[in-house]
Parts: sequence; C-alpha cells; structure tokens
Amino acid sequence: MTAITEKAMRTIFTLCGLAIILFLVGILYILFSNSMPGLTELGIGPFFAADRWNPGAYGEPTYSLLNMIYGTLMVTLGALIFAVPTGVAAAAYLAEIASPWEREVFKPIVEVLAGVPSVVLGFFGLVVLAPLIARTFNLNSGLTALNGAILVGIMALPTIITLAEDAITAVPKEYRHASLALGGTRWQTIWKITIPAAFSGITASAMLGMGRAIGETMTVLMVTGNMVARPESFLDSVRTLSAGIAIDIGDVVFNSTHFHALFVAGLLLFLITFLVNLLADILIQRKPEVNK
Amino acid sequence: MMSTNAKVTIEETRIQETAKHGIGKLNKSIENEYCEVKAENLNFFYGPVQALFNVTVKVQEKGVAALIGPSGCGKSTFLRVLNRMNDLIPGTRLEGKVKIHGKNIYAPNTDVVNLRKKVGMVFQHPNPFPKSIFDNIAYGPRIDGLKNKTALTEIVENSLKGAALWDEVKDRLNEPALALSGGQQQRLCIARALAVKPRILLMDEPTSAIDPIATQRIEDLVRNLCNDYTIIIVTHNMQQAARISDNTGFFLQGEMIEWGTTSNIFTNPQDKRTEDYITGRFG
Repeated sequence: MTAITEKAMRTIFTLCGLAIILFLVGILYILFSNSMPGLTELGIGPFFAADRWNPGAYGEPTYSLLNMIYGTLMVTLGALIFAVPTGVAAAAYLAEIASPWEREVFKPIVEVLAGVPSVVLGFFGLVVLAPLIARTFNLNSGLTALNGAILVGIMALPTIITLAEDAITAVPKEYRHASLALGGTRWQTIWKITIPAAFSGITASAMLGMGRAIGETMTVLMVTGNMVARPESFLDSVRTLSAGIAIDIGDVVFNSTHFHALFVAGLLLFLITFLVNLLADILIQRKPEVNK
Repeated sequence: MMSTNAKVTIEETRIQETAKHGIGKLNKSIENEYCEVKAENLNFFYGPVQALFNVTVKVQEKGVAALIGPSGCGKSTFLRVLNRMNDLIPGTRLEGKVKIHGKNIYAPNTDVVNLRKKVGMVFQHPNPFPKSIFDNIAYGPRIDGLKNKTALTEIVENSLKGAALWDEVKDRLNEPALALSGGQQQRLCIARALAVKPRILLMDEPTSAIDPIATQRIEDLVRNLCNDYTIIIVTHNMQQAARISDNTGFFLQGEMIEWGTTSNIFTNPQDKRTEDYITGRFG
C-alpha cells in the first residue's frame, strides 16, 4: 500500500515539474507558429525598416517595430539608470548598515513594493508624476518616456535590492575585516571592497531588473503617451513593444498580417528577455572569488 | 581633521615621554609610565559571557611579544582589544583601561580609524582582497588619500620588500593576489599592513593556515620586522613562541596567568599552571 502511494506521489510531482517545461515549450510554439506567417509574408526587413508602425494604413500598411524598440530601450535603460544605483545603495544599506530591527522593517516593505499591481503604479504615474514632469520641463503632457522609466525603475527596484543584497551578504567577512583593520572607514569598506567583490552578483541583479523592465506593459501603457513617432528625447512620448502589442491586440483581425506582426513583436520581446535572463544566470553562477 | 590631531598628540606624548625616560629600549627595567601597549585591570565581555578577567600587562616598544594558551583562553580576544576589532561584534563590553602610546584607546573621543592605522593586524587566514597584488598593498595608502602614482609605487615596493615578497612578485604586480600561494598571500597581507606605516603589528595565529616552509619564512620575517615594529603575536604553537618572541604571556580561561621574558616563561615558569601547559600536561 505504501509502495503504491509512494509511486503515485512520485508521478504527480514529476508531472508537475514536467508541466513547467510543457508550458514554456507551448508558449514558444504559439509565439513561433503565429509569427511565422508574418515573417514569411513580409520577411524580416520591414519590421526594422525606417518607417512607422502603421498596419491599419489604407493601401500600404507598414510594420516597422523600430520606433517601439527605441521606446522599449529608452524606458528600460532609463529605468536602470535610476534603479541600479538606488537599488544597490539600498542593498548595501540592508546588508551592511541597517541594524537588525531596521532590516526587519525594511525587508517586508521591499516585498510590498514588489507586490504593488502595475495598474496602481500607473495611477501614480498619471496623477502625480505626469503633472510634475509637465510642470518641471514645461511640457504640454507629462506622459513621456521619462515617466515610464521612473515607474518601471520603481518596479525593478525590489528585484535589484533583493538580489544585490544577497550578493553583498555573500562577500566573505574577511575582506571587510581586512579593510577595517587597515584603517578603512565603513564607507570606504563598502564602496571599495564589498561592492566591487560582489560585482558579478550586482550585475546579475541589474540584468534581472532589466528583464523585469523590458516586458513591463500596463504601467508603461498608462504613462508614456504611446505615440509611435520616433522619440527624440526622454521628454517625448514613446510606445514600447509591450504596450504596442497590448494596444493593438484588442481590435486586430484574427489571423491577419497585422495579427501575425504583433506576434513578431512578442517574439522579439521574448528573445530580448531570454538573452538578458541567460546572461544574468551566467553571472550569478560566477560566485565571488572566495578564499579558503 | 580629528585624525591629524590625534596623530600629533600621540607623537607629542611620545616625545615628552621619551624625554622623561630616555629611549624606550634602554629602560626596559624601569617602571616607566610610557608604554607601547598597556592594559590595566582589563575585563572583557561578549554579552553576558566574560572573556577576559583583570588582565594587566605592559608591552615595551619593538621586539616580539607572544601570547600563548589553549583554545578559547582569550588570547585572540585580547589581541582584538588592541585595535578595537571587537567593536564589530555586537554586544561586547570592556572595563578597565587599554593605553597605546600613553593614550586610552577606549576613551570616548578615540578615533578608531586612526588607531587601526597605527595598530596593524594580520589575520589567521590570509585574506587578500580580490584585487591585484599592487592594489592590495596600495589600498591602505589610497584610502588615506594618497593618489600620486610614483609615491604609491614606492610604498608598494618598500612594503613588499619589508615583507620579503618583492623578489617573488615584482614582475607580476598586476596579477590577482588570490593567485599567490597561501604563504605568499600571508606575506602579502603583512606587506599590506606595513604599507599603512603602523607602529604596532598584531598577528593572530598568522601561520596556522599555511605549510611549514612558508611558516618558517614568516617567522624569519617576524624576527626582522621586530627591529622596526612592536609585534604582538598570538600562537597556539609553543615552539613558535619560543623561537620568535622576546616576551611571552600565558593566558588561561581569560586570565593572564604569567607574563615575562620568553626564556623565563619556558625555562623557569613561576606559576604551576604555566609549567603544566609548557610541559604539555594539558592544552
């Protein structure tokens, strides 16, 4: 009897594990099978051509993802410029400076921040950030790449903080002791020894934060204005790949070229995220050089 | 800046005291006020646990002082009292006085950073930074604000020469320090400590993690360095203490049982417990 239960449990758990792989393969299959008709019909060129995304145009629809790629890159990189220094500093505070009770308070707050629904963050962007940006830079509308970058940065923060803190905590305490014993201040020790020693882990945290930022849709959709024109600066309105898909998918004709083109955008997003995560994974595997 | 003031004050005290008592080395027998290191009625606690009991000791300038005793006897704790590394452990407490160059290092206005520049430390396990050999040595001077490349190069060379490592690494200063052997790493750590120009060097079982040949090189090095520095070394190896030290202190269960010249401690111990330990009856 116990042998049967044992076997059944084993099978169930194994199947659950396999299901994950199945999901991934399924998603990949759907992405490829639906983007293939678009790619065979149009070729790869038009998706990166120097014109606009205008699939609904009468006569000659254009399918360039280029401006949306710019939009995605601007929001993502802008988010990282803001979130990486802030996140690493917060992680260093948590790992090196905070007293135990401060950590007790701070860490759940980071988790709550990670749990804020992106729509709600979008509200914040609309109501608080957009008017602030418009007023500061004297713009007609604050719905800009900058707005999206700040909010996506906030969303990437918990990932960066948590992983960077792990990396900093993993730095052998011997390094710190050596630095302090040489007359280093705590600040010098953190800045010149601990953070450089945790560098690969910190980079990985930034990459995973980036992975989070690239795919972010709802907040960006709400606060970046979604113009498909080529953005000139962070104070222009942009449309990201993810927002582009979400905007169009609602009223696109099923199995049309437009429909398949959206899947090509999805495939591109997936590939970028996949590469970034892969890179992060490789960096995480590289443990800090530990001295026996 | 605070640290500069403290430095000046220490120097002044030293000059005054030297004037009063002559050169430190010549009056070892005299009961003088100025001492390189002096602990008076020192009690030390880790939380509720007392680790040191009423330790009183004077260490004179230059030479090697060895601290011996069984594991957990408080010798390493005492060593870390001297550069306040115990401050890093939460919940520690100290009673009594510890004076270095005549100044109580536990006085409220003590500049700990400056103290640690004067009192260098070498740890049990070699702990070079994951940086190049050059950057390891240059770390101390750099955080002290030195940027001049020529001056740094000179300090690196002198420190490595001082630690008898220069000839082995002079052609690969830019290679990672962690690529060196354990013994070389430990000498690198000694060089790194020398680069800060300390007056006192604390060594916490510096040879316990390295092989016998490397150990011998470090012992030779310690004998050389003690002409210029006051060295206090914790060792669990009695032969080592006998070989390299001028004075020896024997710790047992947090008390300093006996302190005297090394030859006296090893040939003519005054306390029965010292004798038992030396002759290997326990520990």
